[in-house]
Amino acid sequence: MGKRIVVDARGSSCPGPIVELSKAYRNAAVGDVIELWATDPGVKADTQAWAEKTKNKIESIKEDQDKIIIVIDIENR
Amino acid sequence: MMGKLSIIMFSGTMDKFIPLGVLSSAASALGDEVNIFVTGFALLGFMKEKKPLPFPDEFKDMAPALEEGMKRTNTKSWYDMLKEAKESGNVKIYVCSLMASIFNLSKNDLDPIVDDIVGATTFLTQAENGMVLFI
Repeated sequence: MGKRIVVDARGSSCPGPIVELSKAYRNAAVGDVIELWATDPGVKADTQAWAEKTKNKIESIKEDQDKIIIVIDIENR
Repeated sequence: MMGKLSIIMFSGTMDKFIPLGVLSSAASALGDEVNIFVTGFALLGFMKEKKPLPFPDEFKDMAPALEEGMKRTNTKSWYDMLKEAKESGNVKIYVCSLMASIFNLSKNDLDPIVDDIVGATTFLTQAENGMVLFI
């Protein structure tokens, strides 16, 4: 069972959330889960593109009142 | 697959430096190699002695709104985006040797963020088989 890493990139605009995500990814291991919190409207498409390129899996994308929450399974390092 | 983005940074106005920062930083976050070739008046952004970059005349009226919006959205300056991308990724910044000669500049006159002074041949060789943007 890996770690669950929360990356709070709320209030950060493009490409801030992906930069924050990639920083967390550098320190992550296969089996970890990264939970990205963001408010930038481009983050859903951008995280999907990032995951496709880095060969990781988007587990879920949810939106609550004040943020978008994207859960990513780290399958490739 | 790691990719490669090469940017020919030619323009010397502030509005064009924002996409330089954003695209370099996004490419670096994707794990791509980034090569930036600084030529033309873009050189002004990479001098050790900093002067504010001008806005093009036709957009001058909008500059305050742009600056205010960048502050509101916590957008980092192009320089900070580049610096951060360099610290965490594989980003290299090269100044065009012809421009350096024309303005009589050595590496010492340039911002420490600059990796080297190289010719067009070096840049074209580095850019080969990757994506190239001209800004």
